[in-house]
Amino acid sequence: MAEHARDRLVRMLGILTYVERHGATPFAELADHFGVSVAQVRKDIDALWVASEPGDSWSPIDFSADEFDADVAALVRNDGVTQVRLSPREAVALVGALSTMGAAGALPEAGGQVLAKLRDALAEPVIVLGDDAVAPEVREGLIAAIGRYRRARVEYVDAHDRRTTRDVDPHRLVVIDGHGYLECFCHRAEDYRVLRLDRIAAVETLDTPVSRPPTDTAGFSLTPAFKATVRIARTGRWALEDMPGVEIEDAEEDVVATFGVADAAWAAGRLLPVAAHVREVAPHRLLEELHRQAAAVLEAHR
Amino acid sequence: MVEKSQRLLNLIIGLSSTRHRLTRDQIRDTVEGYEPLPRGASEEDARKAEQAFERMFERDKAELREMGVPVETVEDSVYGDEIGYRIRPAEAAMPALELTAAELAVLNVATDYWRGAVLGGDAQQAVMKLASSAEHGPRVELPFAALPAAAHDAIGTLVEAIADRQAVRFEYSSTKAGAATRTVEPWTVVLRAGVAYVIGFDRDREAPRTFRVQRIGGRVTPVGEHRAYDIPDEIPLGALGESEDIHTARVALRPESGHALRRRGTAASVDGGWDLYDVEYAHSDALVAEVLGLAGAARIVSPEDLAAAVVRAAQAAQEVGRG
Repeated sequence: MAEHARDRLVRMLGILTYVERHGATPFAELADHFGVSVAQVRKDIDALWVASEPGDSWSPIDFSADEFDADVAALVRNDGVTQVRLSPREAVALVGALSTMGAAGALPEAGGQVLAKLRDALAEPVIVLGDDAVAPEVREGLIAAIGRYRRARVEYVDAHDRRTTRDVDPHRLVVIDGHGYLECFCHRAEDYRVLRLDRIAAVETLDTPVSRPPTDTAGFSLTPAFKATVRIARTGRWALEDMPGVEIEDAEEDVVATFGVADAAWAAGRLLPVAAHVREVAPHRLLEELHRQAAAVLEAHR
Repeated sequence: MVEKSQRLLNLIIGLSSTRHRLTRDQIRDTVEGYEPLPRGASEEDARKAEQAFERMFERDKAELREMGVPVETVEDSVYGDEIGYRIRPAEAAMPALELTAAELAVLNVATDYWRGAVLGGDAQQAVMKLASSAEHGPRVELPFAALPAAAHDAIGTLVEAIADRQAVRFEYSSTKAGAATRTVEPWTVVLRAGVAYVIGFDRDREAPRTFRVQRIGGRVTPVGEHRAYDIPDEIPLGALGESEDIHTARVALRPESGHALRRRGTAASVDGGWDLYDVEYAHSDALVAEVLGLAGAARIVSPEDLAAAVVRAAQAAQEVGRG
């Protein structure tokens, strides 16, 4: 398929600016750096070479012909042509993604540096707020263990408030839906697990090397046990917008939300705070769990 | 036939190097890649050629703008009524950034965040642009990843409208008012835990408002002129911002439970089968929800209104499905 003109132009300007900064550069290095073939680099340089100012044959860009024949790009002249700035959308896309990784506690050190450089150059193209409180020593501890291919012992508090100590083979820190997670093999569960970073209380690097390789399938594999349908007044809609795979439809003054439930106790806990707006809950087992939790809360507050 | 990428490059060079401006006629006749009007053409052919040029030039101009190259319109009555165009090189150039190979590798991870979504192509294009500022080195493998976030198509249009300071109109379903058409002067996009918001001045309500991008139905339509309003230096984050007021609640926890609250709070004392902790909070709703979620393993001792809110929610939950 033919390449989009804009993509090619951006690469051509990139090659030009790169050669201007780094001096004579072999085509092979340019091909590797910009992710194209040597033949394409040659074509791109050709195209830069024949660029012209209006009305005359003056070429603002000139390369050494001898060097070109030796597959090296060496500038003889460049009259002010340069890579163009980021568009507003590009700036938001990049700074937004980096900042979200940062807010989730899953941004490498180099990411913090590049983010600072981009913010300096671009002002503030987007505001990113973070809720996750990932302890720096947890983050650093995991990165150190990953880098040394060592097993780690983590103190983890799961979504049911159960505190466990697990030995894991740590693989990657990953951002999913704006939250940071550790992808690992958990020797306690004898399976691959994704642990939320802000629920890890402590990390200790062990001497044992990791024994299980990362999986190719990144991220979640929570299989919903059943489908829930909740009818709720519009006022309470927000509470259900983040449910996994949720679909929300308007129904007169209410909305009807349908979502997959992997764990009835967790889903009921999400419904409790907005219970005053909930009209109907199906299936019955989810409603029962809601009633059970409500009774337990009232018992505690008696 | 000159390739389009070549024509766009010549157009950038031409508009950047002009002392004053280039009119449409000058662009058509002198920039390599456009077809000059054929000599001695019939009136009919000249008109067709003119229309073909207009279409091509409008597309090229839009393309440059999307690339991030600001094409300025210059009107000058001294040179007649015809408008001209130019690019200010200092405004169009990528600022000097020195990036390391490791930093470039992080940028590549970050593009995954928008993969398959509306800003995915923009993120990749941005990294390609920044590659010219980066040192070349062996490929850096990072033990980090970003899984694609669900992005609403509207976000691209909103970002462009903010850059142009142009008002937008969209259908929005709010929790209070239901679905309605809103006309908004957008100020900024806010990302919070994977959720996108736009903050702006709501013209109908004559006040700043925060909109959740996901709740926008259908298309976002730009309305009115560019540069139609100013964006305030201090944008009120409203409910999205951290509240200034931090309060302290006393929470009772059953042994071996409420670990997140224990970690944030300080141990105060013990009361029967309960451990008492003092926990700071900014948003009472969030603390109430957290205590409710512990399903009886936690109890709010004070303040009383928070304890009452917990009880009210639990009572309401008991009534669900029993009316």
